[in-house]
Amino acid sequence: MKEMLLKKADVKALCLAACRDWQVYAPLEGMGRDVQFVKINDKVKDSPLNNLNLDYESLVIPPKVIGFPQLESLFEFRGPNITETVQPSGKKLLFGLRACDVKAIRFADKFFKRDFEDIYYLNRSAHRLLVLVGCKLPPRDCFCTSTKTGPFLPAPKEDSQSEESDFDLQMVDVPDAYLVEVASKKAEEFINSYRQFFSDASEEIVAQSEEAKRAAEQAVTQKVDFEKATKNFCEDKIPEQIYERIAERCIYCGGCLYVCPTCTCFNVFDEKEADSGRRWRNWDACVFEGYTREASGHNPRHEKRLRTARRYEHKLKYDYLTTGISGCVGCGRCLSSCPVDIGIIQVIEEAAKI
Amino acid sequence: MKNEYMPHSAVIDSIRSESFDTKTFKVVFEAKALAASFNYKPGQFAQLSLLGIGEAPVSITSSPCSRGFLEFTIRAVGKLTHAMHQLKPADKIYVRGPYGNSFPFEQVKGKDLYFVAGGIGLPPLRSLINSVFDRREEFGRIKILYGAKTPNELCFKEELKRWQQITDTEVLLTVDKADEGWKQNVGVVTTLWDKIDITSSGAVAYVCGPPIMIRFVITKLIKSGFKDENIYVTLERYMKCGIGKCGHCNIGAALVCIDGPVFSYNQLKEMPQKETAMAI
Repeated sequence: MKEMLLKKADVKALCLAACRDWQVYAPLEGMGRDVQFVKINDKVKDSPLNNLNLDYESLVIPPKVIGFPQLESLFEFRGPNITETVQPSGKKLLFGLRACDVKAIRFADKFFKRDFEDIYYLNRSAHRLLVLVGCKLPPRDCFCTSTKTGPFLPAPKEDSQSEESDFDLQMVDVPDAYLVEVASKKAEEFINSYRQFFSDASEEIVAQSEEAKRAAEQAVTQKVDFEKATKNFCEDKIPEQIYERIAERCIYCGGCLYVCPTCTCFNVFDEKEADSGRRWRNWDACVFEGYTREASGHNPRHEKRLRTARRYEHKLKYDYLTTGISGCVGCGRCLSSCPVDIGIIQVIEEAAKI
Repeated sequence: MKNEYMPHSAVIDSIRSESFDTKTFKVVFEAKALAASFNYKPGQFAQLSLLGIGEAPVSITSSPCSRGFLEFTIRAVGKLTHAMHQLKPADKIYVRGPYGNSFPFEQVKGKDLYFVAGGIGLPPLRSLINSVFDRREEFGRIKILYGAKTPNELCFKEELKRWQQITDTEVLLTVDKADEGWKQNVGVVTTLWDKIDITSSGAVAYVCGPPIMIRFVITKLIKSGFKDENIYVTLERYMKCGIGKCGHCNIGAALVCIDGPVFSYNQLKEMPQKETAMAI
């Protein structure tokens, strides 16, 4: 399908119309500066999306939360009887994702599918349409051009039928409208269902969108030699002192990992009252002392520097070695959210210097 | 799509006390079809749970040759295992699995086998030992070297005697601290080396026990001429899901739950040393 045009004035109407057939997730302004990527279906009754913000700087909570909630029930039990609590999937329209977050979602998709399938994540993610709206201005700590994960993603080539696109739709700000790239069959069907909101895009507008992409790319000024850093990680060239220095400052709150869009670790625990209860899972973080502590008290990763090493080596080395893709998408959330000003970018910078 | 997190109910058939803090539970799945079809290999583990208390990985100590039931040898160490020790026959537990890789079995036919275990490290090896004895004539000489803190803490006391009677099989026991009736070796498991004639050429060693023991035993095996690829270790790590998702049991690029728990010494050597230093 050719590129389409969506007028900015029609964006809200499109989202409202889509609520009939989809669970629509979109970036809404909340309190203060916070923008959250949330389901809007129940909210649109009260307000006609006046707080929809596609120009947001960044989402603190990554969209991974849609497939992998912070707290989730695995099953319920009453006496000896267990009832599965798998969520019915439903069609989800994820409208207004950033490129880095689309990459992170794809990363998590592969992770939850490989070896044993994780039914909870896969059910929640089964029928999704990923609508990417590229950043015009990068968030303060972003370095996505270095990780090659943004601010826009390459559209799949016309002739390559086999290659699946990371996004379904990609929107480029041109400035009174969005140029919409259509990258999948699902996306075509979506456009056809809501055809009244879309018009054909002129060649002039398409050229304008290419210019806007280039400008967005140039706006990302924070650069690191990501390739060299990860190569050094894979070749074991990273001096342990890096981790020791971080260990002196890090307060091991786990915040950087909770907000990391590719972190997938979880804890499992039971809760019981009288004879009934649930088994839950919730996000966990490898920097916590209890993460590797065994029942006997033995802890192979008791030392802080070892936990710090794990935290960075997982993203920059082991993900590469096992999947060929790094777990860092350059979003900068870890630095933005850190109370003591530590971010993965600093580790990457040091690793690239070696 | 199968929901791997859903456990299956099983009934405790019998409980045998191994020592003051260790018991062996024989369990049978309630669903007859599952009880009949549940296949596993020596070295694999299951996730055991009690509803409302929690879940933990435990190696399957029974041998796959014995059908219809599973055995788990459990030391009361944490919340779940202490609760399990309160259970009685006919009580329910919940099981899912089997998970993890297994000990090489077909590949070691005709070879001399050495089993070296410390304390609660014998239960994971027992599944393999009994599988080997089930087809005794297909393997070479067998030596079982087993140590515990005290004589009371040796698991499978009756079975150890039975193994001793099997052709071409030596069972050597040792304890850190003897009691009055103890007539065998005193000292750590590596002190048994002086008591046996080691024929390392082509022999295969299986090692399981606390991290410090594993380290000393590997050193001893290498000195005795065992090849790195002929030494197998089974590892323990804190684990939540058993299926490669929760992340907890990672060592370098590996996850103990799906890439292990059995690793050859060759594989262990390739893992980052800072990661294995405290794990083996």
